[in-house]
Parts: sequence; structure tokens; C-alpha cells
Amino acid sequence: MEIKHFHRATSLQDAHETLLQDPSNIVLGGGLWVKKVNASANTLIDLSDLKLDQIKDTHNQLEIGAMVNLRDFETHPAVKSINGGFLSHAVSQIMGVAFRRLATVGGTVAGRFAFSDLLTPLLTLDVTLVFFPKKEISLEQYLNAKGKTTDILTSIIIKKEPGIGYFKKVSNTVLDFAILNIAVTHFKGKYVIAVGARPAGSVLALKAMDYLNTQKNPGLAEFEKAAELTSEALGFLTTSTGSESYRKSLARTYVRRGLEEVAHHEG
Amino acid sequence: MKVKFILNGRNRSFEVKPGEFLLDTLRKNAITSVKNGCNESSCGACSVLLDGKPILSCSLLTLRVEGHRITTVEGIQEEIELISHYFGDEGADQCGFCNSGLALTAYALKRELVNPTDEDIKKYVVGNLCRCSGYQAQFEAIKRYVRNEK
Repeated sequence: MEIKHFHRATSLQDAHETLLQDPSNIVLGGGLWVKKVNASANTLIDLSDLKLDQIKDTHNQLEIGAMVNLRDFETHPAVKSINGGFLSHAVSQIMGVAFRRLATVGGTVAGRFAFSDLLTPLLTLDVTLVFFPKKEISLEQYLNAKGKTTDILTSIIIKKEPGIGYFKKVSNTVLDFAILNIAVTHFKGKYVIAVGARPAGSVLALKAMDYLNTQKNPGLAEFEKAAELTSEALGFLTTSTGSESYRKSLARTYVRRGLEEVAHHEG
Repeated sequence: MKVKFILNGRNRSFEVKPGEFLLDTLRKNAITSVKNGCNESSCGACSVLLDGKPILSCSLLTLRVEGHRITTVEGIQEEIELISHYFGDEGADQCGFCNSGLALTAYALKRELVNPTDEDIKKYVVGNLCRCSGYQAQFEAIKRYVRNEK
């Protein structure tokens, strides 16, 4: 990426005004894509001085600042306690520790990266995104929205709900992008299923969830059916790392396993 | 643009371009222990410590380091010598290109994790690739270093 200017924002207002000055101005998250993107930026806007690297743990929610790095997120006791630690487990599989010390939660979420191993498990939770100057939307709404926003993501709020979570990343090697990732949560008979890296981005398996959550005491046969519905209803594509049919097969297998794994836990 | 940070315990100031990465700034200024391997955040050869924690210098814009502490193997030579003895004992060295990054990561691991298990150690160093060794000897060396074994 060709970069003309670098600006350390002194406030969110300053960052936002700078962003609006030129369509090619970009807000930096962890900055790991700067080298890989074939584009030019007039000004890169750095939020490092704005104290957005804090995790606030209150009674019923966790507020994660956009500049919290993935390693601090993964190792935070409150994050480890969510749904059996499935968020920490998911993030711990992203590259190495040194990479995760640079990558940020805000950069990952705002970027809507289709391969993300964080977005898929987050999608199974009640997550609200907070933007500057003034906007709050759910993660699901944001992922489904099209186009670029000129608002700046400042934090994500995860509502604490008791329950258990499952996460599976399928990749060719430990450091590869996922060929597919799957997250499942369960609390008091309600199941949530999300699938990402299809290779399109993370989505909820709504048909499968609707089916499963209307069954009385679902068991192995219902889990199998829900896995089948996930595999049939979500779109999968062929890439160099995996074919459409392979991804469908993976989705069917790991959704079923995920459901079986979380079924007997109430969190 | 000017950037100031503490490099291996000394206050330093560098003139850098907005899009310059820390790896390039360090190597241009004679810190050649930091290696340019993949140059795309994948191999760990460029690892340095930012405020005591490992990061990839190939992917961090130098201007973002303003006011922070950067440590390379040149800054912790006694400890690195100790680590190198463990590497030597275990026959973990071959070409040596990955050693600086791996040694810094091992140094950070020892300070970050309390009583790490074998699995913890493997997970911590997974981002430091080596194309020679096959990892087992390096793993044994790091395990002995972290656990202060003789």
C-alpha cells in the first residue's frame, strides 16, 4: 500500500474528521493488511492514543475496545469465562502469538473478513457494535450490510449469557486460513449455529436453528437433520483450498458434532 | 517523519516514511539480528519485543512505535547467550536464520506464562517457522530453558 501521510488521532472527533477529509483515508486497526493491500491511502489514521485498548467487565456485559489486540482478548479471564472459553479457543488458533499481539478486535470486526475465526463464534452471541459519532447495531446487521461506513468502530459489547460454546476451525495446516469454521452455542434448549469461511463470510444457520429450536428434547436424529439443513441452506463455494462439496460435507459433520458436544451442558 | 522510541534501552530517534515498517527501520540502522523472512506476517523471523511482548516487526509501521520500548537480541545478550546454550545442547541450530526470532519468543514466553505445559509452549512458539530443524530439538531446548533445567 502506498501511504502519503500518517496521523495519530488525538480524539475520536479528530479521527472522524480526518477520515471524512478524503475517501482514500483509512482508519488503522492492527495494520496487518497494510502491506498486503494493493491500493493507496492518502492518510492512515492511528487510534493508538485513544485508550480503546481496554476490556471493561461489568455484571452483565463485556465491553471490548476496538484496539484490544487478539492476544489480550484471548487471555482475558472474562473472555475465557464466556461459554466455556470458546472465544479464547477460537482466537488462539489465529496464526502465532506475535501476530495476535498486532491484530485487533476492532480491525477484525470492522473488516468483516470472510475467513475470520473470531466473527463466527461472536455471531452466536448477543453482540452490539458501537460506532463513533453515534451508532449502535448488532454484529449480524453489520455483517449483512453492504458498502463502507464512515463511522469509526470504538467497541464491541458482548452480553453475558450462561451457556456453552463449541468452535471448530478446519484448515490444511495450523497457520492457514480456515477452509471452514463452525460455532455452536447452547443454553437451556436454545441452539445457535454459525458458519464462516464458506469462503463467504460468517452467517447464522437460520433454517437449522428454527428447526432445532422448535423440537422437544432434540437428540441425535434432530442434530443430524439440523446439520443437513445447515449444509443445504448455506451457500458454499469452491476455492483452491476446498471444493463446494467438501465444505458442505465439513459443515454437516462439524455442526452435528458441535451440537452433540454442547447438548449435555447447560453452561 | 520523525519517530522516537527506546531501542534496547536507549532513546533513539529515526526519520522514517509514513509507510515504513519497523523491520526495515531496524535493519537500516544496523540491527541485523532481525531477519526478513516471509515479509508478510507468517514466519516469525522478524519477531522483536514491543514493551516486552513479541510482535512481528515486518507488519508494524514504525510510526506506531512512538514512545514504546523495542527489544531485539542485541538488547538482552546475556539471556540470549543462555538460550543459545540450550539450543546448542539440544542440537537445535542449523542455518540459524530463525534463531533470533525464536529466542526472543522463548524469552517472552518464560516471562508471560507461569509453569507452561508442553502444549502451552508449542502454542506460544507456533508462529516461529524453521525450515531446517523439524522443531523437536528446538522444542526440547525451549522447554529446558523455560523450566530452568540444567
